[in-house]
Amino acid sequence: MSNSAMLLAQAGAEVAKVSTGEAISFWILAPLALGGALGMIFARNAVHSAMFLVLTMLSLGVMYMVQQAPFLGFVQIIVYTGAIMMLFLFVLMLVGRDSSDSVVEVLRGQRVWAAILGIGLAGLLVTGVAEALTSVRPVGLAEQNAGGANVANIGRSVFTDYLFPFELTSALLITAALGAMVLGYTDKSKRRTQRETADARFRGEHDRPSPLPGPGVYATANSVAVPALLPDGSIAPESVSAIIEATASRELATDIETVAGAIPGPDAHALKPAAAKEGDK
Amino acid sequence: MLALQPPPQAPIDAPQIEYSAILPVLILLGAACIGVLVEAFVSKASRWAAQVTLSLLAILGAGLAFVLYVTDSPERGLTTLYRTIAVDRPALFLWGTLLALGLGALLLIADRTVERGGAFVAQAGIRPGTVQDRAQMASGGMQTEVFPLTLFALSGMMIFCAANDLLTMFIALEVLSLPLYLMCGLARRRRLISQESAVKYFLLGAFASAFFLYGLALLYGYAGSVKLADIANAAAGSAASDTLLFGGFGLLVVGLMFKASVGPFHAWTPDVYQGSPTPITAFMAACTKVAAFGGILRVLTVGFESTSWEWRGVLWVVAVASMVIGAVLGLTQTDIKRMLAYSSIAHAGFLLVGALALRPEGLSGTLFYLLTYGFTTLAAFGAVSLVRDSNGEATHLSQWAGLAKRSPVLAWVFAFLLLAMAGIPLTSGFIGKFVVFSAGIQDGMAPLVVIALVASAVAAFFYLRVIVLMFFSDPAPDGPTVTVPGTFTTAAITLGVLVTLVLGLVPAFALDWAGTGTFAF
Repeated sequence: MSNSAMLLAQAGAEVAKVSTGEAISFWILAPLALGGALGMIFARNAVHSAMFLVLTMLSLGVMYMVQQAPFLGFVQIIVYTGAIMMLFLFVLMLVGRDSSDSVVEVLRGQRVWAAILGIGLAGLLVTGVAEALTSVRPVGLAEQNAGGANVANIGRSVFTDYLFPFELTSALLITAALGAMVLGYTDKSKRRTQRETADARFRGEHDRPSPLPGPGVYATANSVAVPALLPDGSIAPESVSAIIEATASRELATDIETVAGAIPGPDAHALKPAAAKEGDK
Repeated sequence: MLALQPPPQAPIDAPQIEYSAILPVLILLGAACIGVLVEAFVSKASRWAAQVTLSLLAILGAGLAFVLYVTDSPERGLTTLYRTIAVDRPALFLWGTLLALGLGALLLIADRTVERGGAFVAQAGIRPGTVQDRAQMASGGMQTEVFPLTLFALSGMMIFCAANDLLTMFIALEVLSLPLYLMCGLARRRRLISQESAVKYFLLGAFASAFFLYGLALLYGYAGSVKLADIANAAAGSAASDTLLFGGFGLLVVGLMFKASVGPFHAWTPDVYQGSPTPITAFMAACTKVAAFGGILRVLTVGFESTSWEWRGVLWVVAVASMVIGAVLGLTQTDIKRMLAYSSIAHAGFLLVGALALRPEGLSGTLFYLLTYGFTTLAAFGAVSLVRDSNGEATHLSQWAGLAKRSPVLAWVFAFLLLAMAGIPLTSGFIGKFVVFSAGIQDGMAPLVVIALVASAVAAFFYLRVIVLMFFSDPAPDGPTVTVPGTFTTAAITLGVLVTLVLGLVPAFALDWAGTGTFAF
């Protein structure tokens, strides 16, 4: 487009004045929104991350209201902050807020480059948009909002100009619901009865027909880390959870030696040595 | 001053809707909703039959409505639903292509003879590798939700091609993408790689949608409207800064190119094509490409033709990058599905040559190329699904050695399809490349066409390598077997091969149809 046309257009356009109240609210809300967005990215805890996002969305909602879009502002707060972010928090709590991402960098230098390129793209967009919008004058805002007709006009355009995209979003919602069910639902109707499970145990589908033995209970200790003894005095290794055995295996080794009679006990009535049984094997 | 009582509003005029024009889309959307109800109310045993019948009837019904409308459609096309949908000749051509390709893909999806129970998992909610997973592997069922999801995706694609404003286009983009993300993760075999592909596609697709939306917002800021025609008018004489126009255009194009798996935005393609269930790969490779290029053609032609001097150089680079990446990386692949994925990236570059021509020959050439490529790739993936060993599909190239000795029919069919992709005369691929490249030369893009010819020569090398492998190698003793397909898969492959052959021998009728009109807006 020619330069003269540009000049003419700019001469005709009065650059809109920003009122003091709007400026104050902007300079309060904008740092909050920006801080919330940065906090969302850098927070280690997922719940903190979500709360920072709530802060950003609330600030944006108020900004929309300041810019004479009350409906959009309230929708932003009610739908995004109120409904969607709360759902987010529910999911985080259900999944477990301790579950954290792996911090291992798979590609070397990926983060550095991602940061450089991301900041570069953001800088490009911000300078471009800022340069383009500084001389823009709002058009048609007063007529659209005359006498509080903001909502009515949105309703009108939803049922006229944007009727089809509006209706089409229903397809999107149905797909999302269907997808959640496909990925989340497992058919439990064919659960085995107790009798079938018992039969299966004795048919050998499980490792052993009976449940695992409990840990030992003695006068000196009833910890889950103490193994139970079998009737012949030998240790039942299954009676201790695999995790515990791994951590306290040294203690268990001396216990085994004691019980096996390798270390002579002070008491003549100590447990019978299991050596004979070992020898039988 | 806020008045509590808003002023009385004039009543809304009921919109003028050309129901006969959009009936095919409405039939598909309605059938998809009924399919969801079938999931809810029909017993599990009879669901598959009900869904297949419903989906086939829907596509055939939509095809019938389409044919009835096409026979007396207005020459210049029309816009309906407050100008959000433009049913013009290019859109109708794309709709016909999509319906036919959708029918073929649906047949592949519905097949249960190649793999017992179909290519889809019985219950996606069960974690891979568990006892329950091994149990369901033996069971014969499948997630029949795939059928309504396919119909939703297909209707989204049809709307995407005909969307006359960017907002409708964005929602159509989501309607077509969301079911695809889901269906990618539903493979019966190799579930982890399938789920990985779904997550990759979803995350990268969400990024691409965000780019598209950002571009849309900037363009709205520029033109004050999301309608393509208004953006074109604003570009011709607006006082607003061009930064918004070209920033918005750039971001918008990133989103579109991602869906079409063009050039540097292709990173998802090989992984997703490899991991998805093969019928879904066929559906994606054929139909998504058609829909995405339909959208690209409309956006470039209707919205941005007047500013083509500014952006054409950038898209030249994108087209060259796409052709080079596709052709060169395709050479190094050892997996047949990944190889076809890189071939689709190279083809996207060739298609972009036609789309950049911005003249009637370019439009009709690209439409024709989409038609030919869609059917060829559909049949090729159908054929890939037949070569199997005990672990499912045998996709490693070394397993394809000497396939001609095991199954000459399949080897000849696959060789024919590969030759069509390479663009050998007497196949549709040759005519497609010819019309697209000649449109490029007419528009003064000779250097780009030369690069495209070199790239297609390089790409021909890896197609020929597979043919040589199939015909002139000795089969491995424990190699895969070729499953004899049932009616559905046979029908789909036959459809693809026949169209490839017919369009290679007598392309005139399709070329004429592709060139009958321009976009309405």
